[in-house]
Amino acid sequence: MSMGKMLGRGRLRFAGSRACSLRSGLSLGESFLRLATVLALLLVLRAVAMSQDQRLPPLIREGQNAIDVGDFTRAAHAFEQARQLAPDSKEANRGLLLSYLQVGRLGEAEAIGQAAVAQWPKDADLPHWLGLVYFKRHRNYLAVSQLQRAESLDPSQYDVHFDLALVLLSDDQYSDAANDLEKAIKIDPKAALAHVLLGRAYQNTNRSLQAVEQFQTALRLDPNLPLGHYHLAFAYASLGRNDEAIAEYEKELLRSTNNPTVLYQLGHCQVEAGEWKSAIAHLKKATEIDPQNSDASYDLGKALLLQGDAETAVPPLRRAIELKPSNPSPHYQLARALDKLGNKEEAQREFETFSALKKAQPVTGGMAAGPVQ
Amino acid sequence: MMLPRSGLNWMLVCVLVGGALSLPDFAFPQHTSSTREHAPFTASRSQTKAGISFADVTRAAGIDFHLTCGGPEKLYIMESMCGGIAVFDYDNDGWMDIFLVNGSTLEDMKAGKCHPSKLYHNNHDGTFTDVTAKSGINHCGWGFGVAVGDYDNDGNEDLYITYLDGAVLYRNNGDGTFTDVTAKAGVGNLGRWGTSAAFGDYDNDGYLDLYVANYVDLDLNHLPEFGQGPFCQYRGIAVSCGPRGLKGARDRLYHNNGDGTFTDVTEKLNIDPGSYYGLGLMWLDYDLDGCLDLYVADDSTPSMLYHGDCKGGFTEVGAQAGVAYSGDGREQAGMGIDSADYDNDGWPDIAKANFSDDTNNLYHNDHTGEFTDLAGPSNFGPVSIPFLGYGVKFLDLDNDGWQDILVADGHVNPQVDQHSFGVAYAERPLLFHNLKNGKFEEIGTRSGAAMSRRYVGRGAATADFFNDGQQDLLVSVLDGPPLLLRNTTRPKGHWLRIKTVGVRSNHDGFGARVQLKAGGLTQSAEVRANASFESASDPRLHFGLGSASQVESIVVHWPSGIVDRIGLQAADRQLIIEEGKGIVSAPQPKPAPPATGKMPSLRN
Repeated sequence: MSMGKMLGRGRLRFAGSRACSLRSGLSLGESFLRLATVLALLLVLRAVAMSQDQRLPPLIREGQNAIDVGDFTRAAHAFEQARQLAPDSKEANRGLLLSYLQVGRLGEAEAIGQAAVAQWPKDADLPHWLGLVYFKRHRNYLAVSQLQRAESLDPSQYDVHFDLALVLLSDDQYSDAANDLEKAIKIDPKAALAHVLLGRAYQNTNRSLQAVEQFQTALRLDPNLPLGHYHLAFAYASLGRNDEAIAEYEKELLRSTNNPTVLYQLGHCQVEAGEWKSAIAHLKKATEIDPQNSDASYDLGKALLLQGDAETAVPPLRRAIELKPSNPSPHYQLARALDKLGNKEEAQREFETFSALKKAQPVTGGMAAGPVQ
Repeated sequence: MMLPRSGLNWMLVCVLVGGALSLPDFAFPQHTSSTREHAPFTASRSQTKAGISFADVTRAAGIDFHLTCGGPEKLYIMESMCGGIAVFDYDNDGWMDIFLVNGSTLEDMKAGKCHPSKLYHNNHDGTFTDVTAKSGINHCGWGFGVAVGDYDNDGNEDLYITYLDGAVLYRNNGDGTFTDVTAKAGVGNLGRWGTSAAFGDYDNDGYLDLYVANYVDLDLNHLPEFGQGPFCQYRGIAVSCGPRGLKGARDRLYHNNGDGTFTDVTEKLNIDPGSYYGLGLMWLDYDLDGCLDLYVADDSTPSMLYHGDCKGGFTEVGAQAGVAYSGDGREQAGMGIDSADYDNDGWPDIAKANFSDDTNNLYHNDHTGEFTDLAGPSNFGPVSIPFLGYGVKFLDLDNDGWQDILVADGHVNPQVDQHSFGVAYAERPLLFHNLKNGKFEEIGTRSGAAMSRRYVGRGAATADFFNDGQQDLLVSVLDGPPLLLRNTTRPKGHWLRIKTVGVRSNHDGFGARVQLKAGGLTQSAEVRANASFESASDPRLHFGLGSASQVESIVVHWPSGIVDRIGLQAADRQLIIEEGKGIVSAPQPKPAPPATGKMPSLRN
């Protein structure tokens, strides 16, 4: 909304006051005196308004410039001043909401956002940003509601679809997220990140083949996309295409040599594929970099056991138990390792621990194998 | 005024929000030993071996059976578990006949309306004739599984059929008729819902004993209501209840007394004390100690491996042996099982089909009494993730001397088709070709049109129905006709078939171990009919010989301890080997002609 329109609204408000006075039935002299007073007051107010009119645009511009360079603290300061000058300034409110959102003053952003959304209900940006405020405050239900409102106000906005999908993804609402990402990609087919996220949404709705396509597209659009090969590898592994998964994990590893998560996943995949020697190397490195990763320790022990090295398998399996005592699997592998080593008594104890822990675990087989969507 | 592209860049979110999205959950999806994200129903991407193919000859062969198993919505668990099939030579004419178990519906059960099981006689010309009426096999009930074995050693194969509320033993009279001897034999499994059953002589007394896998203790008057309760959900949608949440039914082991009667030794031998949900089962001698052991696949509970002590006792060693759980110690929903020496190392390995969202198992025999699940490294497991496997059978598709695998698939909940879960109700069978290096290649979609289609598969059996030296397939299909799939692989390679006749051992020779050397390869196999899911296969041992036109040696280790050694033999024929005598006959029946000429199957 322009400044001129804003001032126009002020004038109308005053005109209304005059009309009200005209209806009071005072004498002509009294009326004239009062009219002169009102006119004088109007002149003063107009002068003040003209003063605001001159001060507000530079503040708005300063705020905008600050946002453009990512200095949201400075932007917030400028918009605060602007809003003090003109509390009903839409530009000031928008700027302040955005600045507060970015600097993390979420409580204030929420208050401004709520009022602004009510005051300017047709502005699509306001519910968009308020939705993001809610999201940052972990109130995803409200975030989704606002983002959907923004989406309905302006369906042509890539950002709204993308952000809504992001919130839905974080809430594990993969199908809905996929729908929004598909809309976003229709608007901008070259958005590599959206393809990655759509791949993740497909992955989690059992559409791994489509996920593979999305990750491949993302990597074509941006070969340097962070975690691009990781995601593609993950999708291949879900399809049981271990060889391709391993190749992609290896590509990811070239870009992040010491990433323990990538090392672990590569090792895990190699265990599945029977490439135990390589798996052991990667898992050893993963456990060295991240000694707290019980899964990596477990897989290392398992790979060693599968390779026939029961004795060497025991320490990492014990470590996995130490890190996650409630996980039955390391006890199972340790029992089998000890059994192979002839330590039947301890093996039996581990089998018993395994059985006891299993009873406390959620069921996994049969119909329980499929995750609830 | 615009925000930078996208209000919240997803990588920044992790930093800005500080917890709304955590890296391990979102940016870094992870497969761990205990979690797995799920794959869709996919077509095979394999580059298949040319030449392996099967033709659907069901209609041309005159098989007109329709399996009835509850209503189309599958509101109750028993409506998904039918499908028993038996391949056996009931009239000893040297040709494999077919018995198909039928189910029922709740309404028809209550109304006393029967859905007859059917016996088909092999006409030796590629066709079969329905001889059910003459056979006297007429029990009216909701049938599931079937076992074949000559329990009275009279030279005729008998039938044992499991029902929703018991079981029936039919004695083969040797004249094309059968007599219900259940009551006399004492194997009625009364009031129990039996699934698979299997004959095997666990105490080597020369008589076949009988194991019956029981599933759920179901009260038909108080059936669990569809979709009501935590165990009536699959991925959040309402489905039939169970087996979890329902009381399991304890399996039964019947010892053959040798006089036409059996004794229930379940409690005495501490069989299935946990009353797990029994489905697939087979007798095998996994440690080659000359005594039969027993492997039972349980649904949603640990599978059981009973090690026979050669004295008539058992010790359950499933967990220690590594076959009770997945390779990571997870319970699985075991369905069908089979055993063969897929890597030709002389020791029997085990294949097990499981529920969808899980991999099938290929338990490699480590020669130490333990197994290692090599489903992943062998490529047998990963491709099976979206498939719900039932019947599983080893067979040599192309007579190359290496055991391949068939898995019949089909989901239990038709409701999955209304959702995008990546699993489907009807699924194509999986066909794994042995690459001779410990790995398999899934070639189903390129092994003939019939193999590419989707079915709700259940039981699976192998046989050389046409006596042409190739192993064919019979698969039961829920609420539909079965699939008789003729092996039309070319070139077919040389072969040898062995029929065992026990004398001191049981007449079928079940449990006999045969080693055969040909073309520089030593193959081992154990005589067995009952395995897979609720099914019985051709008990004759089939050896593919590849390019070898003769067999260098055959050694038969009988359950009695007798060993028969046989020298050089020509290929491409059947040998009948009698215990202690060696080869007693080498008939060469004329193969049946192709049965696809005059009556082409509509499926093709």
